[in-house]
Amino acid sequence: MSVTPDDVLRIARLAELEVDEDALPVLVEQMSRILDYVAQLSTATGSNGLRPFVPGPDAIRFRPDVVNPWPLAVGPDKLAPAFKSGFFVVPKLGQFEEPEAS
Amino acid sequence: MTEAKAAADRLVKVKRLNALLTPVSELRKSLAEQAATARPTGVLYGMPVAVKDNICTLEFTTTCGSKVLEGYRSPYEATAITKLKAAGALIAGKTNCDEFAMGSSTEHSAYGRSIHPLDKTRVPGGSSGGSAALVAAGAVPAALGSETGGSVRQPASFCGVVGIKPTYGRVSRYGLVAFGSSLDQIGALGRSVHDAARVLSVISGRDPKDATCEDRDPLRLPTVPESLQGFVIGLPREYFPPDLDPAVRRACDRAVRLMKEQGAAVREVSLPHTQFAVPTYYVIAPAEASSNLARFDGVRYGPRAEGATDVRDLYRRTRGEGFGPEVRRRILVGTYVLSAGYYEAYYRRAQQMRALIAQDFRNAFDRGVDLLFTPTTPTPAFKAGEKLADPVSMYLSDIFTVTANLAGLPAISLPVGRVKGLPVGGQFIGQAFLEDEMLEAAYALERVVPATEEA
Amino acid sequence: MTGWETVIGLETHVQLRTASKMFCGCSAAFGAAPNTHICPVCLGLPGALPSPNGEAIKHAVRATLALGCTVHAKSVFARKNYFYPDLPKGYQISQFEEPLATKGSLTFLAPERGLVTATIVRLHVEEDAGKSLHDRFPKATAVDLNRAGVPLIEIVTGPDFRSPQEARAYLQTLKQVLEYIGVSDCDMEKGSLRVDANVSVRRPGDTALGVKTEVKNINSFAYVEKALGVERDRQVALLESGGTVTQQTMLYDAKDNAVRPQRSKEESHDYRYFPEPDLPPLVLTPEFVAEQQSLLPELPASKRERFVAQYGLPQQDAAVLTAGRSVADYYEGVVHAGAEAKAAANWVMGEVLADAKDHAEALRVPAASLAQLIGLVKGGTLSHQAAKRVFGELANRGGDPRTIAEALGVIQVADSNVVAGWVSEVLAAHTTEVTRYRTGETKLMAFFVGQVMKASKGKADPKLAQRVLEERLAP
Repeated sequence: MSVTPDDVLRIARLAELEVDEDALPVLVEQMSRILDYVAQLSTATGSNGLRPFVPGPDAIRFRPDVVNPWPLAVGPDKLAPAFKSGFFVVPKLGQFEEPEAS
Repeated sequence: MTEAKAAADRLVKVKRLNALLTPVSELRKSLAEQAATARPTGVLYGMPVAVKDNICTLEFTTTCGSKVLEGYRSPYEATAITKLKAAGALIAGKTNCDEFAMGSSTEHSAYGRSIHPLDKTRVPGGSSGGSAALVAAGAVPAALGSETGGSVRQPASFCGVVGIKPTYGRVSRYGLVAFGSSLDQIGALGRSVHDAARVLSVISGRDPKDATCEDRDPLRLPTVPESLQGFVIGLPREYFPPDLDPAVRRACDRAVRLMKEQGAAVREVSLPHTQFAVPTYYVIAPAEASSNLARFDGVRYGPRAEGATDVRDLYRRTRGEGFGPEVRRRILVGTYVLSAGYYEAYYRRAQQMRALIAQDFRNAFDRGVDLLFTPTTPTPAFKAGEKLADPVSMYLSDIFTVTANLAGLPAISLPVGRVKGLPVGGQFIGQAFLEDEMLEAAYALERVVPATEEA
Repeated sequence: MTGWETVIGLETHVQLRTASKMFCGCSAAFGAAPNTHICPVCLGLPGALPSPNGEAIKHAVRATLALGCTVHAKSVFARKNYFYPDLPKGYQISQFEEPLATKGSLTFLAPERGLVTATIVRLHVEEDAGKSLHDRFPKATAVDLNRAGVPLIEIVTGPDFRSPQEARAYLQTLKQVLEYIGVSDCDMEKGSLRVDANVSVRRPGDTALGVKTEVKNINSFAYVEKALGVERDRQVALLESGGTVTQQTMLYDAKDNAVRPQRSKEESHDYRYFPEPDLPPLVLTPEFVAEQQSLLPELPASKRERFVAQYGLPQQDAAVLTAGRSVADYYEGVVHAGAEAKAAANWVMGEVLADAKDHAEALRVPAASLAQLIGLVKGGTLSHQAAKRVFGELANRGGDPRTIAEALGVIQVADSNVVAGWVSEVLAAHTTEVTRYRTGETKLMAFFVGQVMKASKGKADPKLAQRVLEERLAP
């Protein structure tokens, strides 16, 4: 069950990863290899309908609703690659994209 | 103060290993400052502990072995680090690792590979290779690493030191840069069981900042037992396959004999779904990683690609340029197995298989076995470059370690012999939150096993 | 608009009124300077982990109970993965396959169809994203993460509304209920209540649903009606001219009162939901749920019915008095302090609400004081006009009603002897009118009362004056 170059490009778009045209064939081959390898899970019987296993506590323990922020040693202006007048700055969305109305 | 200087000197001496990412001058300065303020009543007072570079510290940078966090200084520290400092320990620099803990050789670091202390042509293992190398070279008595699929135990086995992975939820993950959230744990490496266990004990215990950390007191260390009388050790047949490296088998057989001599009862058991463990792991871990690494986008911290035309371009180039090939592969695989149309067949199926793997362990323990004993790795340390051509071949070196991560169980690797001069590790896998029993067995074995003798 | 039936479903996001955020201890308060309510968690720093706010869960559970939902003892948080500058982790912690609650309902008064019961398909808990400001800097987007991590509940209805007006009426009722139970202030201007709508049209009698579009960027209740009307009209025009409706997202532009497609170069999102590995399941004990149930106040519909029954008020008045919880509680305070129910209703609906409107909704006169004031009018000590003046003083300066009335000199004389004296004076001075009155011009009573008021310089109790006049003028 291999992946096609189109599959890889579509997945790369979803993951916001730039993929070099030159690197694409090797990447497709490696991805196919890995996905073929893990696809053997579908041959395993007896796992259908089983409840997934997740380790850790059985239930959430709640935090009290108190304003008590966990401290930052420096402000966002020192962390950010671009920061102006109190805001993080990023290049605008492209010409074909409208803002995700939030 | 002298301890701080001595610690720095020891680390400088092994520079060639490329195990330490922290520049020496910064290290010296920080150790001196830390020594001045360290808590004298702490149980680890003055102990220099090196820290894998995927654990956030206020001192030094936290790069996770990646260019995408080059120069990043975390504005907060991990809970485990706070606890170490409260116990008087010194944070002795950040160690090299596979990028974002993805790898089994430390060859996937953006800052060069680390070198095996006994053979410079070989890898120290990964992803906590830097930590293991420093401990093995005697530069620090202990170090923190992290486990997702065996990344503490495997390099411990390759380098001939002790590596402990706690039960999932025993140690807070707050400040451990997430790779596979349902698998990750911070672990400890040390020259002896005692050194590693002391560190693990200090960093363990409840933390309200990590909702997956159990509400328990810190680990209480057991005393060294007089014998292994009363212990039932299970040997899962799937971990001793016919094609197991004969030298590794000899070393483990010798260890088992010694355990019997100490009074342990030994039984063969079966963990029938072992063959599915690696593919299960390589669905779940990349899936969670693909989501955990989405935050590295150049917006709020870290370097940012130059000259992006719009924000999507910014993301793609920052991430494309910042992540190495193994990380990119895993993000793509992870995104794929979560995507529409594939989630059921891959991710959901893998989580169900995980339940079967966990069930295998429960069945073995329910039948009266206290601990399992297995080889830690199928071979000793391999040569650098040997496993880079085929990504899956690297994955197969995790074959004996991933099951404990999938089942959330504690495990400890200790050196049990040498093969042509290279260390070989054997591991105990224990029951959830019963690290004390596991440590007792480890103490007992350590006491008698000829770890530096050829098997 | 004949020949077409409009079908609307609503997705509402409501910010919960907690002190801290959903997954960290930062303040959830609105209006702070940008990027001042942040920490490693809501900044999405490497290594940070979510820590769930118990109060937010309590608020959410009360909301589910008030909306008649089935609360699930176990629900699971899930990651919704997508990239956007104001989404720090590159995913939103939400709920997907196992939400907090399903299958509720909300009955509201639809303008044309009367009482309609909307189905609440699901209600789940999630965290808010930050804010992206596209006009702050040229060629760049400014990001403020103060809002990132504020607790939200998402409430999804079925395709239950048949007009934009109905959608608005439902939202107003939803807002009322959520305000009543104190979980949110539901302010569309502040963004604590946000709405996305699904709109489609079909021929009346059709059971299948038409292709739906999603309408976003609606920023007030009034715009809800406008935006949905515009989209419906667009779809109808399209279908009538032989076209087909494409499933897409439309953004409402309030300036033009128009909707435009949200064009995106990319394919539609694949959110790759999976259970959140950093959080155990959300497990609610029956005791926990019962406690939240017991903390629910009387809901608006029940309160309205009770006001009608208990205070003998007409539906319309009961509706006004129960529109907001603070006014309803105030009204009952006035009645419990001794005021007569109907008089109290008139005063609250009149003077009190008018004053509140000008003073940021403050109910400035204490309930007990208003009750006293109403008593003074009832007892004839103050005329209604005088009482209004006293009310104004009470609102601005506080104090005691009787003392203020005395200070203003508006206490009515209700002493019949004194009033009788004035009446005698007036009758003596207007003998012609007396005769005319006694021969049948009874409408002159108003004139006599006016004269008594003049003689008493406004102090006479006009009702008493009229009674005395009627006695004295009786043939």
